[in-house]
Amino acid sequence: MKTFKLENEPKIESGFITPDHYFKNFSLKMMDQIVTNETKVISIFQKRKYLFFSAAALLLFALMIPIVNNWSAKSTELDAVALENYITYQTNVNQYDLINALEEDDINSMNVSLAIEDKTIEEILSYNPNVENLITE
Amino acid sequence: MQEEQKFIQQLLDSKTQNQAFERLIQMYQRPLYNQIRNIVLNHDDTDDVLQNTLVKVYQNLKNFKGDSKLFSWMYRIATNEALTFLKQKSKKSGISSEALQSKIIDNLEADVFFDGDEIQLKLQKAIVLLPAKQQLIFKMKYFEELKYDAMSEILGTSVGGLKASYHIAVKKIEAFLNTN
Repeated sequence: MKTFKLENEPKIESGFITPDHYFKNFSLKMMDQIVTNETKVISIFQKRKYLFFSAAALLLFALMIPIVNNWSAKSTELDAVALENYITYQTNVNQYDLINALEEDDINSMNVSLAIEDKTIEEILSYNPNVENLITE
Repeated sequence: MQEEQKFIQQLLDSKTQNQAFERLIQMYQRPLYNQIRNIVLNHDDTDDVLQNTLVKVYQNLKNFKGDSKLFSWMYRIATNEALTFLKQKSKKSGISSEALQSKIIDNLEADVFFDGDEIQLKLQKAIVLLPAKQQLIFKMKYFEELKYDAMSEILGTSVGGLKASYHIAVKKIEAFLNTN
């Protein structure tokens, strides 16, 4: 059997072909592409980049509002409850401690509210059998 | 060489650039196409890679130092682009570049842009079994008939090394064709 030798045989072509008029059309297509590339194109994304980022930041901020609100509301509520419980159930705190803790502003505001109730106080004092005790307190 | 320098100047001059580049495309599109097609094997992929190659050539003309011939420089860009394309495509398919090439060769008969007879198909099947570098050297020498000097400039391999690789590739191909 004859041994196959590449150099003894006629050249074998690759067998690859191209579509009709491919190279003629290719150079035209390529030149169009080059000319288009030369004109600086600003991408839509680039142009609107800052707008997108601003919108995203605003959205993030808007989404955070309920979270921040809940957090602050909860923390205030917890403080008030804790304070109330402390005053109600803490046996060491008596009437005198509370009086000592009052600021001048607090006393003034209480005075204002008491002034409105003057008549009621007078009635209570006149009908109360322990007037003397109340006065001394 | 002087003529090439003049041509390069025309390519770099904004007034003559487009006309010179059009000439460059007409002169080199066929050999560059063949080089890319021999690597990626499929016409549509070759078309994409050839466009990318020429865009890169156009964009990097100002960096061309003239150390090598313009043709060798473009050939090198085309080869690198084609090999990178093949690597990316095989990565997307989840197989190796070699496996991808074998798959394309197995389906070559169904390719409308392959017009080869039985021996041409056998030759392609034999080539794809070679290591990547030997494939490249064989195709450039046998199909494109490039001189060893030019191949050495393009591939960065010594002429002696290229001759040895080509010789080994031919032996392997002949052995395949004799047994199949």
